Amino acid sequence: MTREESSKVTRRSTRFSSSSVTVENPEPNPSHHPPTVSDLTFGEESITLDALLSNFPGRRSQILDLVRLIGPLDSPALPVIAYGDASTGKTSVVLQVFRHLNRPFVYSSCRTCCTPRILFESILNQLLLHRKCSSNGYASAKRCDKPSDFVNLLREALSNVVETLKSTKLERKSSMGKMVYLVVDHVDLIKDWDKGAMILQFLFGLYSVLKMPQLGIVLISGLSPDVYYSNVGYTDPLPVYFPEYSEEELRQIFLKNQVNKKLYSAFLDVVLRPLCRVTRRVEELSTTFSSLFRKYCEPLDDLAISPNEDLKRRLYSNLKPHITSCLNEIFRVSSRPHDGDTRGERRQKASYSCEKGEQLEMLDFHMSTSAKYLLIAAFLASRNPATLDASMFDSTGGMDNRKRKRKASEKSMEKKEMAEQEAVMKGPGSFPLERLLAIFQCIASVGDSSFGDDAEEEGEEEATGYDKESNNMMSDILLQVSSLCDANFIIKSGSCPLEGSIRYRSMVSEDLSLKVARSLSFPLSKYLYRR
Amino acid sequence: MAPSTTVADLPPSSTTDSFNSSAAAEENDIRPFFVLHKASSGSKSTATVKAKRRIESPSPKLAKRSEIESAGEEEGGHFFSTLRFKVFETVWSKIDNTIQGVLRDSNSKVFSGIHDWIWESFESIRSSGALSLSEAVRSYPVLSQPSSKQLFTALVLTRNLEMVDDLSTFEDLGSHLKSQGCHVAKLSSTDFSAKNGVGGCLRGLLRQFVMPTVDVADVTILASWYRESGNDKNPVVVIVDDTERCSGSVLSELILILSEWAVKVPVFIIMGVSTAHDAPRKILSASALQRLCATRFTLSSPAERMDAVLEAVFLKPCSGFTVSHKVALCMRSYFLCQDGTLTSFVKTLKIACLQHFSLEPLSIMLEHFCQDNQLPGEGTALLTEATMKHAFDLPSVTRNKITRSTCEMLPQFLLDLQRMPNPWCIVVLCIYEAGKFDKLRLLDIFCETLDPEARYLKYFSPPAILNSQSNVSGRTSVIRRVLRKLRDLSPAQLSSLLKSWERLTAEFSEINDKVMELHPFMRTVEAAGQRPGIPTSPKKHASRSNSKLEKELKAMTDKISAVIEFMLREYMKPVETVPFHEILCFKNVDKLQSALLGDPRSRIQSDLLESHNILHCMCCSQRGTTLLPSMHDTSILYMLAQEHAEVINLHDWYQSFKTILSPRNSKAKTTLKSKKRKDRCEEPEAPAEASIQARFCRAVMELQIAGLIRMPSKRRPDFVQRAAFST
Repeated sequence: MTREESSKVTRRSTRFSSSSVTVENPEPNPSHHPPTVSDLTFGEESITLDALLSNFPGRRSQILDLVRLIGPLDSPALPVIAYGDASTGKTSVVLQVFRHLNRPFVYSSCRTCCTPRILFESILNQLLLHRKCSSNGYASAKRCDKPSDFVNLLREALSNVVETLKSTKLERKSSMGKMVYLVVDHVDLIKDWDKGAMILQFLFGLYSVLKMPQLGIVLISGLSPDVYYSNVGYTDPLPVYFPEYSEEELRQIFLKNQVNKKLYSAFLDVVLRPLCRVTRRVEELSTTFSSLFRKYCEPLDDLAISPNEDLKRRLYSNLKPHITSCLNEIFRVSSRPHDGDTRGERRQKASYSCEKGEQLEMLDFHMSTSAKYLLIAAFLASRNPATLDASMFDSTGGMDNRKRKRKASEKSMEKKEMAEQEAVMKGPGSFPLERLLAIFQCIASVGDSSFGDDAEEEGEEEATGYDKESNNMMSDILLQVSSLCDANFIIKSGSCPLEGSIRYRSMVSEDLSLKVARSLSFPLSKYLYRR
Repeated sequence: MAPSTTVADLPPSSTTDSFNSSAAAEENDIRPFFVLHKASSGSKSTATVKAKRRIESPSPKLAKRSEIESAGEEEGGHFFSTLRFKVFETVWSKIDNTIQGVLRDSNSKVFSGIHDWIWESFESIRSSGALSLSEAVRSYPVLSQPSSKQLFTALVLTRNLEMVDDLSTFEDLGSHLKSQGCHVAKLSSTDFSAKNGVGGCLRGLLRQFVMPTVDVADVTILASWYRESGNDKNPVVVIVDDTERCSGSVLSELILILSEWAVKVPVFIIMGVSTAHDAPRKILSASALQRLCATRFTLSSPAERMDAVLEAVFLKPCSGFTVSHKVALCMRSYFLCQDGTLTSFVKTLKIACLQHFSLEPLSIMLEHFCQDNQLPGEGTALLTEATMKHAFDLPSVTRNKITRSTCEMLPQFLLDLQRMPNPWCIVVLCIYEAGKFDKLRLLDIFCETLDPEARYLKYFSPPAILNSQSNVSGRTSVIRRVLRKLRDLSPAQLSSLLKSWERLTAEFSEINDKVMELHPFMRTVEAAGQRPGIPTSPKKHASRSNSKLEKELKAMTDKISAVIEFMLREYMKPVETVPFHEILCFKNVDKLQSALLGDPRSRIQSDLLESHNILHCMCCSQRGTTLLPSMHDTSILYMLAQEHAEVINLHDWYQSFKTILSPRNSKAKTTLKSKKRKDRCEEPEAPAEASIQARFCRAVMELQIAGLIRMPSKRRPDFVQRAAFST
């Protein structure tokens, strides 16, 4: 409390001098520069509406809406919610609008503030102009856990700030108004917090609870506001929708900051259309484009060149193979990753290229033999129906399974197809530990018998050595199961409702298990049902 | 599980106080089968081991040795056993240091690669423009290029499913980077639990970076800290050592948060990936993967490290301690089949070493091998009459018909022993050098060349070669593979092979001369190889010169294989053929195996079936196959369970248990009149129904805890299921 008081005093005394200090110049010593209310504005030079509009192609109506909803200086505003898909410019537009308006605001992202406490404290810290540093032990200005405390503290802090703003108004010509805006980003993430629903309700109702017209609230969400509404009776925030960019808008965005616009536009002619079909997120596209553009420019010596038709064609033919691979990558990006292409080109080219060749048939990490057998056993247990086990691995060593397999495959095609589809829908099946161990023992013994044949030829003593090996195979198999679980090759999946024992599921792709089987020279396909 | 049983398995005859105390500590560990231990308390620890030895290794050699030991122990054996323990410590610390050094070297290249990558990327971030203080600590993102949210990530492939080896690797990497000025924090999978969420790992980060008392998981603290007192001159590195084991959602969330702040705090993530490089793909969310700008680094594989360790410990002068062929085979199969980690290999080695010192009285001599190459007089002074007697009773000595003529002979032999491995090591390394072209592992070569009967020599007789050509498939002999591969080598490879041989044999003139003799041939081969000149020469000309080159090459490879044969025949004297090798060489493979693979479950089962061997009670000593009421309840029940199939009817089981407990005479009467039986309850020999039931319950429970049976399920409430069958 005292610390806060003192900081206020210094703030008042130095306000005049500090307002003359431009924010562009980094301070040599941070402790000499206590933050002021003007730090609550965007900080840099304010921009005109035209510049703002030209900065965000395709966001004209949203910007105008926001400016209208926030309203002129010192006019109370209802809460606003800006929503739309990821990477559609919500945060940037809102922040730049405030830069244009040059009004004080407080920004907190629920991505960074991952609990209510941090969210509340971050808002209060900014309002109280508190900065965490080593001298205050990186502590917040106020400790605040509960929404009710937050309302009281917020009200107190707000009135302080508004007071200051009023007094500033007298001294300065360019006014910041006497309102403060609260911007909360990534509101949709709150849903996943524990007691998230309560916090959400609180945030949406904050305006009516606080009853302070000096606070304007802007929420930014990835989900549409319908998701949050419940019949509690607070005023619904006014929605501003950010739709996905169109292809033309994307072109404008990507052309904006380019040095050689002609070259880049030729590049965009080639890549934008195919990739747009996959994703329209600026973020995803820009990472892909940056690597693709590097490839595109590779044959060029002079990057300032303006390409003619012939050169364009040549560059395109050069790039073409890369686009398709990127398409695939991006296609997986929406569900899966992207890091594949950036990884290869950076470093360790030698190891990459040699591995690429071998990758197809070789396993590039070490597993002990028993872990390999276990992996195969788990794969079989997940793929094959349990009823087939007896015929696959009977006491004769599973050698006569061929006949049965053929029988199964002679079923009518329709039925088979149906079953196949069903299997795809179901994914890998689950199995109890006992079944895994039983299959493991069967296939390990088959594998060992082939070992033994070889060893006999080698001589007596080695044969005994390998006998021991096969005996020992079982000893710490449960340890191996747990390490396979750790590596996400096998996952625990629920428990059987009847017996209550844990069931497992193999998460290994067929490629990997075939690789493993090949490294053991184990005939996996022989044991695989419907293969 | 397996290694923990090892210390308890030490032979009792040689245990000193220190050994005993560790064994006692092991006893107190709570184990799944603790109940059984408790039931057979008393002089159990020694008794078990004795019993075990009787069962496992009835070899006369061993018995003899223990006799000798016990004889030695009477004459102040305590002094010698403490001395041996001390020597063990010096020897082991030497081996351990060597291994650590080798591992450090194997990683250093990758470490410096990672370091360079970090600084390069860091400079590129810094060059894009510095942020002012207020920009850097304020809560909203810096609006610049959309690609600025990329996080630089290194995927370090450890190439081993097990993580154990690499825990220390990442520890080393952390301290290496720290010494270069980076801010380093290390997170492990325990920090990424779904329970604590992203707050847990953020807090962990802040505690390591900022100060240990931080309890708010707020990234802004990191940003403010980074801007203070010159912290921003250095990059921030976060090491996640076992990515696969982390909770994917929490890790993704951390990546998203850090990437939001990537411009303000340049964070580099180093992720240890133990399986394939696409493992992050499987656990991270798409949006998190989007933010990663990944680079791959590959550590040396466990097999490569293993070869380096083998070379340093056994083939280069290190401690003198070595292992026999069978032990090497056992260690190899344990490494390949059971647990492919270097950690467990080192542990195996340590067990072998410890057992060697506890079994072999003469092992104190190793100290002198370890310290310097001269055998000081005091070493022989320590040899008392008993140990001398023991030394000349060693099987290798009696086999070689060395009689105990003089005591002075012993130092001479020891000197030989000291010198002995040198040519052997050189030959092994030469073969390893040749095997590198076929990607052979030193481990395999080492195991094969240790063979005391030198069966590898048979591949040099012509029929064997013919035979080997027909049989290509399967696990073939290493030496045979080396010889076969020699024929496919190009002249350039051959000359590099010769050069490395020359380097290896430099200290050993006999082999070196032979190698040097090869050089003129090599020159003619090279000359023949160079004559065709440009590969685009006319066809017939090329074919002619090629045939000549082939002829030369053939002659050359024959010469080289002749040299290999010469080396193998003349200098490849495996350790086990040398007199007095028992001093250096650990041979007892059974001991090592039982120490490695405790196999507690089958141990429990066999002990339950033979409980008399452990308990040594008088009452049931003369039993044959009959079950006696004086036996331990659990043991009775388990033996009864042997008669059942997979499921056991509880009622039947109980009835037969009761029949055994109640004496026969009373049993006859109870069948007549059940009511009368209750009157007889006071008789000492007929225990009460209630107590029988209690004992039954208790015994069943113990069996369940030992994991031998499973409790009745809801579906079949009257049956227990047997979970373990005969060993």
